[in-house]
Amino acid sequence: MMQVANNSYLAGLLEGRPFADRGDALNRLRAGAVERVGVLSLPSTRDEDWRFTDLAPLTKMCFQPYRGVPAIVESDIARYSIAESAQRLVFVDGVYAPQLSSPLNGGIVVSSLAAALPAHAAAIVADLGRRALFDNNAFTALNTAFLNDGALVLLPRNAALDTPVHLLFVATRKEAAAHPRCLVLAGAGSRATVIEEYVALTEDAYLTNAVGEFVLADDAQLTHVRVQRESRQAFHIGHSAVALAHGSRYHGIHAGFGARLSRFNLDVVQNAEGAECEIGGLAIIDGSQLADTHSSIDHARAHGVSRQQHKCIVGGSARAVFNGRIVVRQGAQLTNSAQSSRNLLLSERARVDTKPQLEIFADDVKCAHGATVGQLDADEVFYLKSRGLSESVARSLLTYAFGAEILHAIPVASLRDRLEKMLLAQTERA
Amino acid sequence: MSSILQNLVNKPYEHGFVTDIESDTAAKGLSEATIRMISAKKNEPAWLLEFRLKAYAHWLTMTPPAWANVHYPPVDFQAISYYSAPKPKKKLASMDEVDPELLKTFEKLGVPMNERAKLAGVAVDVIFDSVSVATTYKAKLAEVGIIFCSISEAVHEHPELIQKYLGSVVPVGDNFYAALNSAVFTDGSFCFIPKGVKCPMDLSTYFRINTESSGQFERTLIIAEDGASVSYLEGCTAPKFDSNQLHAAVVELVALDNADIKYSTVQNWYAGDENGVGGIYNFVTKRGLCKGVNSRISWTQVETGSAITWKYPSCVLRGENSVGEFYSVALTNHHQQADTGTKMIHIGKNTRSKIVSKGISAGVSSNSYRGLVRIAPTAAGARNYSQCDSMLIGDKCSANTFPYIDVRNPGAQVEHEASTSKIGEDQLFYFAQRGIGAEEAVSMIINGFCKDVFQQLPMEFAVEATKLLGVKLEGSVG
Repeated sequence: MMQVANNSYLAGLLEGRPFADRGDALNRLRAGAVERVGVLSLPSTRDEDWRFTDLAPLTKMCFQPYRGVPAIVESDIARYSIAESAQRLVFVDGVYAPQLSSPLNGGIVVSSLAAALPAHAAAIVADLGRRALFDNNAFTALNTAFLNDGALVLLPRNAALDTPVHLLFVATRKEAAAHPRCLVLAGAGSRATVIEEYVALTEDAYLTNAVGEFVLADDAQLTHVRVQRESRQAFHIGHSAVALAHGSRYHGIHAGFGARLSRFNLDVVQNAEGAECEIGGLAIIDGSQLADTHSSIDHARAHGVSRQQHKCIVGGSARAVFNGRIVVRQGAQLTNSAQSSRNLLLSERARVDTKPQLEIFADDVKCAHGATVGQLDADEVFYLKSRGLSESVARSLLTYAFGAEILHAIPVASLRDRLEKMLLAQTERA
Repeated sequence: MSSILQNLVNKPYEHGFVTDIESDTAAKGLSEATIRMISAKKNEPAWLLEFRLKAYAHWLTMTPPAWANVHYPPVDFQAISYYSAPKPKKKLASMDEVDPELLKTFEKLGVPMNERAKLAGVAVDVIFDSVSVATTYKAKLAEVGIIFCSISEAVHEHPELIQKYLGSVVPVGDNFYAALNSAVFTDGSFCFIPKGVKCPMDLSTYFRINTESSGQFERTLIIAEDGASVSYLEGCTAPKFDSNQLHAAVVELVALDNADIKYSTVQNWYAGDENGVGGIYNFVTKRGLCKGVNSRISWTQVETGSAITWKYPSCVLRGENSVGEFYSVALTNHHQQADTGTKMIHIGKNTRSKIVSKGISAGVSSNSYRGLVRIAPTAAGARNYSQCDSMLIGDKCSANTFPYIDVRNPGAQVEHEASTSKIGEDQLFYFAQRGIGAEEAVSMIINGFCKDVFQQLPMEFAVEATKLLGVKLEGSVG
């Protein structure tokens, strides 16, 4: 009975999707995804991957995709602009807003996916939908079923983008369902910084179901800053899939502040030897928020390096979930992997579920993981108080420092400052 | 790894699989009638039959757990005979009749002479009067008021205790195998330490004559009253032969105020041959309840046998300031699969728990640590420290860790650490420089790796366990 209800909810979310009207290259991908949505059911807490995150609040509401023209102007989003960034793509409720965007169309392409598709079909089709797999992920399948536009960053061989690319996804409508999509193709030896940011101009409930694919060719280097600042009523489901080739390096900083319920899946696959990834994650939540991060780092080949640090600051009756899976495949010798999950509980009703998980099939590897859950160290608070700070200032300073360690790695000064201020404001409120 | 090491392991299990149970055996299959038959045969009171039937009703509604990281063909529960009255095994006349290979193993393990005879099934009175020893021990225990007997005996002699505590820690419907055990258990041990008594000796299954063949559905219940303390040893390092493939035991521990229970296990059941054929499925539910304030339960296990191990000795820390500990060494070789770990459920204030788990995998085996640390909202000031280390020997085995941490109280402090390592060429080289051969070096390194756990074992067990790991890894270090 439950199953039927779930499936009809998923089917309801499929309504309003684009149809095969243009004979474009994405028809097959979409058709496959639609079929998959029909087979999959909405995950429940009986699924191991979702056991701590109950989607019941989501299913109590209806969300419809918005297909009109974006109705906001520059001044509405001025406060989100990043001074260092020369290229920006803006999507409003999932719809590309050309009047707010500054694309680039030379050797390096920063453009809406639909606009770039005719010229770069081969490159796009080769990777789109092939990294963020949707066989067992109903939300990724749903996003793919809606796929007709998105943000594209295409870096040719040895291209270096010195200024960060800003991909801004703005939510403005109550009960809208947006399915944003990013595709970053970094050619061999290329270098770039991409900021993927989700913001809201409304306080209402809506659904963001975002998927991003980041494909790094040999020796490419990508810094990916993902900022989730949805409204406090929103539902945010995100999935980033990263594929790393020989000698490539992915540096991810993923910060989540908003949403009533957020779920972020990060899949990193090291497909060739010598790939490296460094990932910092931060979730700061309070009230009745729930932030769930599931990451998977797959060392499929030898000589891979991964370093991951995930931090949660949990106040109110909020709940943070972290599941960090690290796989070292057979033959992936000399892998060096370190993971830590650190969690700060600020209130009596806050809750953390963390599971750092190692699966190792090779013997000559170095893998370590650690997890801590606790409150601020009494000695540290005392130290600051002995220097004349009040109890509350001392606590908020320490909480801030706990989170700032992650944000500090953001290489874009104005964004870093802005997020650190948000962090400070949030810790003071707590 | 080097070729010297390659040659060191992969020695076959030397003693084959002995089937020597001849007994009054029930027809295969499980139904309500089977359970009534077991209960009638054992002349049980009505409340116990009810307990069994309730468990059976639960079991019927359940499905075997599929979440563990182990793979095996489905067990046909109707193909098992659930009752077999143990008959004395055929006794050998003297040590000379014992399989020399078995004696060699005893030699390697350093099992004391008198115990070797008993373990080998030699009629003990010829060499060693175990009956008188056991009687002496029993008298000594009875003097201080300790009850230590088989659970069937306890059902008749001390029904009030059994009725009060049986199923109080592991409820009949707890999990699939616990429900099955509750429905069909035939025997096991019962131990009761009265108020204020410190058990004068380690209670060991060695010297228990009454439950020699406690069967595949063993049930153990240990109760330590206020201020009592006991150390209980289960199993032994010598290889154990058994014809039953499925073992589903349940162990329940209850510690009241200020009580202290230490439970040590060394398990070396038949693990199947090097191609993974045969071997015992060891699906065990072990749980201790720290019911009273300042109580303490400590689990120590050395798991080296069984084709499949599915075992999570747990502590429910209900009493304020109670302490739970778990020390484990799990070694898998060839095609063995182990999914083992612990659960620490913190309910009372200022409860503390410590987990030290060492996994060693060799051959093509799979070794998983799966643990849960849960801090309930009531457990202010709770503290947990977990350490899970894995060592891989060879590149075809796997080591996994699945630590679940669920914290609902901000005053709690939870730490988890895990690492994976291997025996390095440079370490072996260092030993070689000092004239120590590869085999001995590996044994020393492994024992160093497991030191934290072995220190928790009673001394003679620790000595044997150290050697046991060496024996188990013979020929597999590569």
